[in-house]
Amino acid sequence: MYAIFKREFLSYFRSPVGYVALSIFSFLSGYIFYTQFAYGSVSISTEVISLRSFFVIIVPIITMGLFAEDKKRGTDILYYTTPTSLFSVVLGKALAAFALYAVMFINVIIHIIVTVSCGGVFNVGDFGAIIVFFFMAFMFIAIGLFASAITDSQIVSAIVAFVFILVSQIISVISGYVGTAAGSMASTLGLSNSKASSIGTAVTNTITWFDPFVKTQDFSLGIFSVSALFFLLSVGILFIYLTYRLLDKKRWSQA
Amino acid sequence: MIEISNLVKRYGDKKAVNGISFTVNDDEILGFLGPNGAGKTTTMNIITGYISSTSGSVKVNGHDILEEPELAKKEIGYLPENPPLYHDMTVIEYLEYICDLKGVSKDKRKSQIDNILSMVKISDVKNRLIGNLSKGYKQRVGIAQALVGNPSILILDEPTVGLDPNQIIEIRKLIKSLSKRHSIIISSHILSEIQEIADRVVIVNHGKVAAIDSITDLSKRLSGQSKLLMTFRGPSQECAELIRTIPGISSAIVRVTDSRVSQIEISIVSNSTSDVRVSIFNCMAKKNWPILEIRSLDPTLEEVFLSITAGKRRAN
Repeated sequence: MYAIFKREFLSYFRSPVGYVALSIFSFLSGYIFYTQFAYGSVSISTEVISLRSFFVIIVPIITMGLFAEDKKRGTDILYYTTPTSLFSVVLGKALAAFALYAVMFINVIIHIIVTVSCGGVFNVGDFGAIIVFFFMAFMFIAIGLFASAITDSQIVSAIVAFVFILVSQIISVISGYVGTAAGSMASTLGLSNSKASSIGTAVTNTITWFDPFVKTQDFSLGIFSVSALFFLLSVGILFIYLTYRLLDKKRWSQA
Repeated sequence: MIEISNLVKRYGDKKAVNGISFTVNDDEILGFLGPNGAGKTTTMNIITGYISSTSGSVKVNGHDILEEPELAKKEIGYLPENPPLYHDMTVIEYLEYICDLKGVSKDKRKSQIDNILSMVKISDVKNRLIGNLSKGYKQRVGIAQALVGNPSILILDEPTVGLDPNQIIEIRKLIKSLSKRHSIIISSHILSEIQEIADRVVIVNHGKVAAIDSITDLSKRLSGQSKLLMTFRGPSQECAELIRTIPGISSAIVRVTDSRVSQIEISIVSNSTSDVRVSIFNCMAKKNWPILEIRSLDPTLEEVFLSITAGKRRAN
């Protein structure tokens, strides 16, 4: 696994991908921090929460080539014909992308040092926001990894990852529309207004339950929830497992 | 040693491989031939564990590729048709990475890589990016990665495709030298190359083994007899009569090519399963008639291949 991790992590810096991701993250975090700093009131949790909105751009960039590029140039054959296990390959690649995110986060650590050294505050809410940031990064990287395993085109992989992450970011908005539509449908089918409304609400709540941002919104207030972290971790592990199954299926394909 | 028995690979209704069985002995070069779409690459992919078979088994030095994949894969070095190279790595970085994948221990790594670099003659480019190497060097790096881990079996799919004649000769020499320590399965469309280096050949067609034997025996089997063309100096009639007395020789037709020096050309047809050239040489030596040339007129591998695959095609 370490061999895969090392190769993938170093390959980010042998191509423009790592530098592009690092530049975008540095610019965004620097801009957010500067804006707050200029007003004389810095909140690290606000910066970290804002940066979470850009997973939708950065994650597809760093995950799009993980498997798609291997498939395109035929190097994926090494994973199947050498004694290394396929699961360790998947894990190694996921960890390499995660490590790149950790490197990008050095920007925020510098901002924390500057804030604290200038008399600012770094509280438990900020710490909570950082924990959520890393758990979300893990989850979205796993989704991006899965998107990369389904195709040999980096562009298609990036688009699929983008759509997945975008949907998870606006799932609350989507749930509102779907809930209203479900209520209207129930009303059309002849149910009373109160029943139709409760059906709509139930649908909205059910979909919103999957919103990772709603689940973790209290972390920045210093209120931690193990179940929320467990949710993010579970989704990440699920997508890593699905990636493994998808790649292993190729070996057994009869189509 | 590889034992392949009754291998079948289905893709939907189509059988890409349909009951292929053969054995590769230790330190043997086995040519693996067949027209495009015959099932060569699919078979090689199954042997290396890249894909699974629908039924049948592959045993590599006694280890089943599906039941003990890690042990079986340790015994195999595979060079696919497109070498699996990372163009953004240097040769040395790439080979170290392959060592990691194949689980070569740290203490053996340096000596093994140095040995491979000198064996495939790429020491001078070890610090260059693979992407900047010529096609010939890339192919050598591909062979080098197959050699990492010191596998007892090498599987080479079209190792000389796209190379210039000089590079082909160099790679051929390299493969020949590797056969001293490895069993090799080599697939190529250049039949003269297979004829030159392979001990035996397997010809597959429509997913089945169409023929398996040494090239000489395949040629004999195809024509039912062995033909020789001999040039020597001596009396023509006496010589023809002498040769006809050698057991296994069914006919000898004499033609004088240069009467000034009594130079004779004689076409010999033999039905014998053994090599009659030794008997001919002994007879000529006793009479002190110098042999200038003995040339086999048996069908070439190309003719055998065309005959077998075209015959099957007609049958289908």
